Amino acid sequence: MLNGVKILIGDDSILARKQLKDIILQYGTPTFFEASNGQETIDLYKKESPDIVFLDIVMPVKDGNAAIREIIEYDKDAEIVVVSSVGTQSQLKAAIESGAKDFIQKPLKPESIHHIIASRFEGR
Amino acid sequence: MYAQFFGNYLLSRNIVTRDQLIQAMHKKSSTQIRLGTLAIHAGYMTANEVDRVVILQTHQDKRFGEIAISEGYLTEMQVAELLSEQKPDFLLLGQALVEDGIIDNEQLQNLIIDYQSENELEAFEYSAETIDAIDHMVEKFFVLAERSLSQHEVSFFRLLLSNLVRFIGDDFTLVPPSLCKEYPTNYCVSQKVNGAFSVCPYLDMPESTCIDFASRYVGETYTSFDEYVQASVEDFLNLHNGLFTVNMSNDFSIELTLEPPTVEKKDLLTFEEETYLLPIVYPFGTLYFILVLHKTH
Repeated sequence: MLNGVKILIGDDSILARKQLKDIILQYGTPTFFEASNGQETIDLYKKESPDIVFLDIVMPVKDGNAAIREIIEYDKDAEIVVVSSVGTQSQLKAAIESGAKDFIQKPLKPESIHHIIASRFEGR
Repeated sequence: MYAQFFGNYLLSRNIVTRDQLIQAMHKKSSTQIRLGTLAIHAGYMTANEVDRVVILQTHQDKRFGEIAISEGYLTEMQVAELLSEQKPDFLLLGQALVEDGIIDNEQLQNLIIDYQSENELEAFEYSAETIDAIDHMVEKFFVLAERSLSQHEVSFFRLLLSNLVRFIGDDFTLVPPSLCKEYPTNYCVSQKVNGAFSVCPYLDMPESTCIDFASRYVGETYTSFDEYVQASVEDFLNLHNGLFTVNMSNDFSIELTLEPPTVEKKDLLTFEEETYLLPIVYPFGTLYFILVLHKTH
C-alpha cells in the first residue's frame, strides 16, 4: 500500500530512523527521506513534498516544534506525526497546537505505526 | 509508572479530538480535583454512586464527603485518606473532560482502570530482592548526601532501574553509589533535563560493553562499535529521560524539557555540583551512570 508514497523521517538518532523504517517496510516500499535535525527536515519537506512526516521533538539545530510550525506555515495540510519520548502534557499541547496530526510515544510499538499507516494509505 | 501521558492515551484511542483535549488541558489548570473523582480513582465509589451523590447535593446544602458518608459509600477515614494522599495530576484532565461533557463519570472510571492496567503491564514488577536493593541504594544515597532524597529523585532512580530491566535485562547487580568529583570517560553520553527538577545524567561504558549493550537494547547482534551501537547508548538515555518527563507531568504536573543528548569529548570530567557515580554490573560489562543533581528543588 506504500508504493509511490514519500515518507520523511526527522530524527537525530540514526538508530531511531532505522527502527522506524524497518517497521514501515512491513507495509510496503515507500521512498524514504531522512533528516537529522529540524532545519534539514524543513528543507527536505520543501524539496520533496512528502506524503507524511515522522518527526522527533528533541533535536539539535532546530527542534521538532519549530519544524512543525515552519512546515505548516509552508503547507497547512502537511501530515506530521510526532514520534517522541517526551510525551509530557506541555509537549503534546505544543505539538498539536502547532499542527501535528498525531503523537506517538516512544518506545516505538509496531501497532502504533500500523494504525498511522493504515488510516492514511490503506486502499491506495 | 506510566508509559505515556493520559492525554496522549485518550487521543491515540480516539476518545477525544485534538480540540477537545486542548480545551480540557487549558481548563484543568484552573480547576480543583473533586472528592468524587478521587473516590473513583481509589476504587472506593463507583461512577453511579458519585453521580447519585452529586444529584443529592443539589437538594441538600452539604459537602460531597458528608453525603457520601451518610449514604454509606465512604467512611470518615476514607475521606480523610483521599484528601491527604497525593493526587495524580492526570485525574484533573479526566475530570475536566467530564465537566466539558465529553465523557461521563462511568467512562472515566473505565478509562482509569484501562489506562492503569495497561501501564502496570508495561511497568516492571519488582521482585522482593530488587525492592530490597533499591531501598538499600536509597539509604546509601541518604548517608552520602546527608539528606533524604526528594520524591522526584527517588522516582528518577526507580524508573531508571525499571527501564534497565525493561530494555536491557534484569540480570544486573547494583554497586553502592559513591560521590563523584571527577571521572575518566570511556564512551560517554549525557543529556540535560531542565525545569523545576533538574538533573544531568551521564551514561558511560567501554566500547566493548557498548556493543553488547546495543545488541540487547535493539534486539540485533552487533559485532563492532559502529554508528548504530553508539546511537543506542544515546537512545537509551533519551528514552529513559523522556519517560521520566512523562511521569513527572502525569503525576506531579511538573513540566520538564530535554536537551539533545551529546557525546562527551573530554577524557576527564570534573564536577562542582552534587554528583554520584552509580555502577550497574551486567554479565557483559559495567554501565556507569553519573548523576549531577542540580540544587533547584
